[in-house]
Amino acid sequence: MGQVSGLVPSRFLTLLAHLVIVITIFWTRDDNIRASLPPSFTSDQYKKEDSELVTALSITLGLFLIELAGFFSGVSMFNNTQSLFSIALHCCAAVSLAFFVFESWECSTYWYIFTFCSVLPAFTEVIMFITVFVLKKKSF
Amino acid sequence: MAPRGRRLSSISLEVLIFLNGWYSATYFLLELFVFMYKGLLLPYPTANLVLDVVMLFLYLGIEIIRLFFATKGNLCQRMMPLGISLAMTFPSAMMAFYYFLVQTYVLRLEAVMSAILLIFCGLELVLEVFTLATFNRYFCLSLGGSWVGGGGRVHGEASCYLLVSNLLSSCP
Repeated sequence: MGQVSGLVPSRFLTLLAHLVIVITIFWTRDDNIRASLPPSFTSDQYKKEDSELVTALSITLGLFLIELAGFFSGVSMFNNTQSLFSIALHCCAAVSLAFFVFESWECSTYWYIFTFCSVLPAFTEVIMFITVFVLKKKSF
Repeated sequence: MAPRGRRLSSISLEVLIFLNGWYSATYFLLELFVFMYKGLLLPYPTANLVLDVVMLFLYLGIEIIRLFFATKGNLCQRMMPLGISLAMTFPSAMMAFYYFLVQTYVLRLEAVMSAILLIFCGLELVLEVFTLATFNRYFCLSLGGSWVGGGGRVHGEASCYLLVSNLLSSCP
């Protein structure tokens, strides 16, 4: 039987922390774009970098929706493995993105953070969805 | 009171209240640190800073009372505490709105966190109205002496399917 341990609120809070920083980056992406362009740049180059970063951020938000849907629907809320995995990855993401904002890292580093800390947990979440709804196995 | 053996409490509302409690605690701690940061860095008239910090403590009090009444009303299937909690959702939402837009200096971080609080308040408002309606319906029907629906099986264990099936069924 799944119990409400400390994992459930921890997972929710780390998920939200990551989400809050991603939304903040939507607002403050100017510094990061300037960091990835040469000292003198055209507005076309700026727009290209900007659209790339906005695409990455939007896909991140979509993956968040998948994970939040899995969490709130109860599919993976009580599964300890998925919770631990999610907590660890989103914690790393929150810290890395805090560095990303404060140290004005270039946009290419966002793709690394995105791959490890957004795609992986969403992928395991989809696996959980398939396990519960298609294979009809209890997830805890 | 709802008929015995019939579980009318809303699981989604309970989940939301539980997570809202944790989130409010985090929000309160974060806002304390943010006010320390803002007080040191930004040019504040003293009265405004004092007002904002005092409102924060007031907000903490309101949230604790609101969430306590909501969870008790939902789990004990009583309408009165749930009604009190519903009434307190409005001052709570107003305070969240204050921290979102109206306070002296609003950081981007504060704006996002207050927006999430407002989303919580909105969702809880909707679910509390549904739950009150459910309690009311079964209360009136039980007074009239007729029992609606299939046998009231008391669920001893909370299983994943229970969560999912209840969220998908008519009882929100």
